Amino acid sequence: MAEMQNSNPTILNAADLPTRSRSTEKKTGDYALGIFAAVPKPTDFLSSDSEGDEDLLEEPIDEQEIYDLIKSISDPEHPLSLGELAVVSLPDIFIKPTLPNVPSSPLQTVTVLITPTITHCSLATVIGLGVRVRLEQSLPPRFRVDVRIKEGTHSTGDEVNKQLGDKERVAAALENGALMQVIGKMMETCQ
Amino acid sequence: MAPPTLSLLSDLTPPSLERAWLSAPHPTLPIVATCSSDKTVRVYSLTNFKLLSTITGGHKRSVRTAAWKPHVQGESVLATGSFDATVGVWRRWDSYGRTEGGSASAGADDASASNPDAGDNDEEDEEWRFAVLLDGHDSEVKSVSWSASGMLLATCARDKSIWIWEDLDDGDNNFETVAVMQEHGGDVKCVAWHPAEECLASGGYDDTIRVWREDLDDWGQVACIKAHSGTVWFLDWESVDNVPLTSSSSSADEGAELVNQWREQHALSGPRLLSCSDDRTVRIWRRLPKENGSPGLNSSASTGIPSIIRPTGSDETWEEDAVLPHAHELAVYAVAWSRRTGIVASVGADGRIVLYDERIVNAPASDADAMETESTKKPSVQTEWSILAVVDGAHGIYEINHAAWAKRADRGSTEGQEEEVLVTTADDGSVKVSVPTLERALFADSGGWTAEDGPGRDHERSTASTTNPSSYGHLPRFLRLIFYNSSRREQKRVLTATGTIVYMPNKWSKVKGTILKYANKKLARPSVAVH
Repeated sequence: MAEMQNSNPTILNAADLPTRSRSTEKKTGDYALGIFAAVPKPTDFLSSDSEGDEDLLEEPIDEQEIYDLIKSISDPEHPLSLGELAVVSLPDIFIKPTLPNVPSSPLQTVTVLITPTITHCSLATVIGLGVRVRLEQSLPPRFRVDVRIKEGTHSTGDEVNKQLGDKERVAAALENGALMQVIGKMMETCQ
Repeated sequence: MAPPTLSLLSDLTPPSLERAWLSAPHPTLPIVATCSSDKTVRVYSLTNFKLLSTITGGHKRSVRTAAWKPHVQGESVLATGSFDATVGVWRRWDSYGRTEGGSASAGADDASASNPDAGDNDEEDEEWRFAVLLDGHDSEVKSVSWSASGMLLATCARDKSIWIWEDLDDGDNNFETVAVMQEHGGDVKCVAWHPAEECLASGGYDDTIRVWREDLDDWGQVACIKAHSGTVWFLDWESVDNVPLTSSSSSADEGAELVNQWREQHALSGPRLLSCSDDRTVRIWRRLPKENGSPGLNSSASTGIPSIIRPTGSDETWEEDAVLPHAHELAVYAVAWSRRTGIVASVGADGRIVLYDERIVNAPASDADAMETESTKKPSVQTEWSILAVVDGAHGIYEINHAAWAKRADRGSTEGQEEEVLVTTADDGSVKVSVPTLERALFADSGGWTAEDGPGRDHERSTASTTNPSSYGHLPRFLRLIFYNSSRREQKRVLTATGTIVYMPNKWSKVKGTILKYANKKLARPSVAVH
């Protein structure tokens, strides 16, 4: 990263980024549980075998939660987050059942569309990989993560998408020390 | 009527705690090797589903692939491919699972931790001898495959190359690089040798399938199939002697005639190739018979002028034979074409296992039809694929990376009978062994996968019905007649409704009569006596 590719990106004010606090109905829901809300569920102590049940008890994971997971990832070349740079944005996150024809299936697909700051950004793949890794490490395994470049926002979008969608390449990338150092640095600002 | 399904026999235990990429059932012994992201290869017994050995220390990164060398006497030879860009070859004198039953169950005792012989088990691990490291690829090795003779080993990698190595079998573990092919435009994801000939198929990130043969001492590409609209993840070949089912509506004579015709055209084309892709489809490819090749291709032969460069006559034309009924919602990572029953299994990111079978549909062609079909190079006997079973969530919520057929070994087999199991590997490290239970759907309304493993057992009936199940009649759908032309004598294999394969020396029509008799009786568990 000798030279910045986009030295003057558009920056959003962190306070303007969408947050959960705007919707208050959730809070009421928690409140209704009263003191029991603080008591850990017995299933919390169980191994992953009970994951299916656990998921049923959990609050459903929504787009805002996905956004919260990835907005604080740092851009590899700016001291700014992907949220502030609008590389990721709430309207470009979608959660859908993976198998719509199987109502009982717990599988869900999270699609995140990435908008690179410039159309020829060579770091788009790294950013996409960072988002994918972040989500795969944070979400329960019943989620299928689909990270792609928003159509028309990158000169080699299809190429990047194919790479990001390739399970084997992603798995190999996770074993690549140099690459994981970069990704790790991007994640430092998370939580 | 609920569709037939797969019923879980057992998990292989203890499993790897990281992603299981692939399993390789041994060609003769009741054991299976599994490849894991934890850099190990685990060898399990298919007799008791317990871990026999863990091969560690050979690879520095994920073990992605493995394959057993065929036709080795008294010893097992395993090639492994890893993301560390190397291919390992391992050897071990056969001691466990060598004979059915006895010694395999002894292996079970060794495997139990409470057994005082547990120390022997460790020793046993050490008996896996690291023979040689094949170094040549620049990046992650994705697939390895031994040729039918066991002489050649093909390996492929993200570096876009395919290497062919010859096992010199000189007792000194020497391998010689025979060829390096670099025509692929991206990662080569899979290589698979023809079941009989020295002909290699490969598929990859460039969405193509390529076919390679040796010609004048030089390995070269003889076909490039623009096969899919996404990465080609896996390939498998049809067995040389596969014959699809005949339609239940045809009489015995018609059926025999159709089968004869089918075999004639199959002999001309050779075994077909099965592929699966990121584009969510499973497809079958057929080589056009050489005799019918376009005359332009053989121009050098007709002019009598030898071509100095690769003779164009070696080019092959492959065309799409079938697209299997749509059944996957996400990438299809592996397919397995059973050499015993002709049933195809596919698995993928959607966590599904799907089974398909093939049936001859049309009536025997008249002479006029035969002439016409020959000129258009279309096969005169058409087949139709349909979905036998869909199992959702076969490994819970996890993606399934691979499926392989193996001979069932967990119970003593009656002479002349063999059953087949499907070994599947998933992202959570689990490896499951399941058996097709074709009769359950017919004679019972439950069974197969339990609800916790797979909800929606009978979902998407509509998908299956698009393939017109009514053409199967009420029973023969579950009964497969497979002609087996061994060199010794003509044998006929029957896959009964219980999933058992029986060798039938009788005349085909008589076999069919037997089956129909069972059909009329509607036995709860039909079985065909062994003669």
